[in-house]
Amino acid sequence: MKIAIVDYDIGNVRSILSAFENQGANVFLTSDKDEILKSDGLVLPGVGAFSHGMENLKSYDLVDAIKEYAISDRPFMGICLGMQLLFEESEEFGETKGLGLILGKVVKLPTKDSQNEKLPHVSWNELNSNKAPWENTILTDIEEGSDMYFVHSFIAQPRDSDNILSTTEYSSHHFCSSVKKDNIYGCQFHPEKSGPTGLKIINNFIRMCQT
Amino acid sequence: MSKELEAYYGLPSKVKFCKKCVISNQRPSSTIEFKNEKGEKKKVINFNEDGVCSACVYHDEKETGIDWEDRDVKLRSLLDQFRSNDGSYDVIVPGSGGKDSAFTAHILKYKYGMNPLTVTWAPHLYTDIGWKNMQEWMHTGGLDNILYTPNGILHQEMTKNAFHNLLHPFQPFIVGQRIIGPAMAKKFGVKLVMYGENQAEYGNSIEENTNPIMNMDFFSSDDVLSMKFGGVSMQEYIDTGKYTKDDFAPYIAPDKQDLVDNGIEVHYLGYYLKWDPQECYYYSVDNTGFQANPVRTEGTYSKYSSIDDKIDPFHYLTTLIKFGIGRCTYDAAQEVRNDKITREEASYLVEKYDAEFPDIYFKDFLEYIDTTEDEFWKVIDKHRSPHIWKKVDGEWILRHTVSNTGADD
Amino acid sequence: MNKIRVVARIDVKNEFAIKGIHLEGLRKVGNPNTMARNYYNNGIDEIVFMDAVAAYYDRNSLRELIQEACTDVFIPITVGGGIRTIDDIKNALNSGADKVAINTKAVQDPNFIMQSAKIFGSQCIISSIEAKKIGENKWEVYTDNGREPTGKDVVEWAQHVEELGAGEIMLTSIDREGTKKGFDINLYQSVIHSVSIPIIASGGMGKSSDAVKLIKHVNVDAIAIASVLHYKIESIKEIKNTLLESQIKVRI
Repeated sequence: MKIAIVDYDIGNVRSILSAFENQGANVFLTSDKDEILKSDGLVLPGVGAFSHGMENLKSYDLVDAIKEYAISDRPFMGICLGMQLLFEESEEFGETKGLGLILGKVVKLPTKDSQNEKLPHVSWNELNSNKAPWENTILTDIEEGSDMYFVHSFIAQPRDSDNILSTTEYSSHHFCSSVKKDNIYGCQFHPEKSGPTGLKIINNFIRMCQT
Repeated sequence: MSKELEAYYGLPSKVKFCKKCVISNQRPSSTIEFKNEKGEKKKVINFNEDGVCSACVYHDEKETGIDWEDRDVKLRSLLDQFRSNDGSYDVIVPGSGGKDSAFTAHILKYKYGMNPLTVTWAPHLYTDIGWKNMQEWMHTGGLDNILYTPNGILHQEMTKNAFHNLLHPFQPFIVGQRIIGPAMAKKFGVKLVMYGENQAEYGNSIEENTNPIMNMDFFSSDDVLSMKFGGVSMQEYIDTGKYTKDDFAPYIAPDKQDLVDNGIEVHYLGYYLKWDPQECYYYSVDNTGFQANPVRTEGTYSKYSSIDDKIDPFHYLTTLIKFGIGRCTYDAAQEVRNDKITREEASYLVEKYDAEFPDIYFKDFLEYIDTTEDEFWKVIDKHRSPHIWKKVDGEWILRHTVSNTGADD
Repeated sequence: MNKIRVVARIDVKNEFAIKGIHLEGLRKVGNPNTMARNYYNNGIDEIVFMDAVAAYYDRNSLRELIQEACTDVFIPITVGGGIRTIDDIKNALNSGADKVAINTKAVQDPNFIMQSAKIFGSQCIISSIEAKKIGENKWEVYTDNGREPTGKDVVEWAQHVEELGAGEIMLTSIDREGTKKGFDINLYQSVIHSVSIPIIASGGMGKSSDAVKLIKHVNVDAIAIASVLHYKIESIKEIKNTLLESQIKVRI
């Protein structure tokens, strides 16, 4: 069983590798299309600008392979920018097109008052459940209200609220902190940086890849 | 056939650096300062056959060869002999409120139950941080102090002479500083004087370390009028008609026999406790309100050492000129021995900071010694020993450095 | 609700963790990896490793340290001290750090912050500001681990770094650092109203009530603590409990 982490020259992947290895996965970094398509699980990491992310995916010629993998019903997880890229487009720096795997778009995190609620949102913050239960998802056995580590200025807004796996409150606004659409998951937070609870989420994902 | 270069001050003609720390064999040992005169041959730090200086050798011994528990017992029994039970002072602690004297006075009072009187021979020119630390020593450290400030007119003239004749502006200060402990002991009827560290920490002969008591010759004299200040004898100052013997009261070393008769003893706390200057810093911050220099001290990388006198940097400038070693070398060598930095790191720091010119108080110094900038440089250049300095394209360069980057390395 | 972050600051010299006072002194306090792991296991929210002697030796050498740290410490790790080039940042991030803290180089060349933020993203770039009090409500920016004054005003510099693209500010009071006498509350009060990026308060915590006092007065986003942990004065649990009891939200 092999889990592939997309290497498109963006962000810190070493922590993700360490976290997966820590949880016993056979994990590897790759920018090879075939490797991606052959893997049993796929992780799309990323930090920084949406447009930069898409540019790199294109220049590494990975867009099609990722899309193809996504419809193959095998577990797929996007982390932080990786989650945002799953959507149709982002309003950051004008309109940039994303992978379009989940309907919805990426917008700036609305803040009322720049004194008390700053951007980027850098903090530990709670996951709250939405309509769907967390059983049999990457949030299996995660306690309601668990704190995860966030660092971002943009958020994804899924068009279909059924895709919202968890919400989190910041600046009196409840934003989507994780998504699920069939086999595709996205975490706005960093599970590899969220202590034991984050490792548990990673472990859940690994178990899904094993079945 | 290479020409042998002249070595001033009777210094060793070949410059060598200690294999363990960064001090060179040109470092002078402590002398009896009021005998210090022009052209005198200097006694220097000893290097053993492995090229290791005596300070490092002493330090190794400190680590393994000394029973510190036994020394503590010795300290307690010494203090028991002198401790007063009527509220009077029972130990004089000379110092400026810097980390070492702050540590010494505070620990004697609060750990060992003594009743110290701290005595300070005033710096030439207090820095703001120096004054603040001195006050904190009293107000936060909970100690008593006498600040003794000698006649500034005489002191300035002596310092000027010391700079011009010996390139050792601190010479008169050191005379006073060494004398004040025993002198105050005599005045207050106190028999015990306790200094902090022993100069063997820094390279005086090791035999001095087996003796907790300071050599009396440092602070007593049989023939007072022949005492020299800035290379000029007391008699010569008096002969100018500007001064009388009265003016020299602060400098007159107590009579040796007198001290013996009064049972006055001068000890080093560094003999009884394992000394670590950096730990003295931490202790004094925690206990006596000590604050490090807000900026990096010129000529070195550190912030906690010797920061109370504006003239201080010029002492180190003159050691650089005469012996090729500046403040950074002294600081770094000490920290290497105490295992805070490696020799490699020390060499790097010396290369970076040793020759830094102390700009901040340059004008204050020139004013203090009533010397023009031109005269200053003339005196400086006169004292550069040919075996240490080389003039290359109009600039003076060290022939040898610890990192082997000297003109002749 | 977002939580105040409790960050462990570990100053490092070669293979040792050290702790100074007023950013001076190299007293060894332990092994940095052991300490990081220990704090992680006890619930710390974030780790900052600062190379305390990078300024002396014109080098930075924390790569191996970070590599080892991120194999078993799964919380954000920041690295600072001697970050001078884009390559330094790249190396730090590739070794496993999530953010870098930059001070001296930024003061010498403010454009460096703008450049780094553009390449790596603001979220990776923390502006580390060392502040020394020079008057009533006036602080001066220092560089080189608290050694060199710059003549810059802290509040103005903080505003400037935000404009340049820094994602957060770690603001250290040189006067309080290592003293365990409490935070310089006025310092943070002066800066907080001038910037809108997160502020990490660093320097002076000796007991939990110091943190409570600070947070009740000033809306800082995080506190960086060192002496109180390294000298085992209080445990992370004790600190967090005290904060919770004072109605301050922290991650449990």
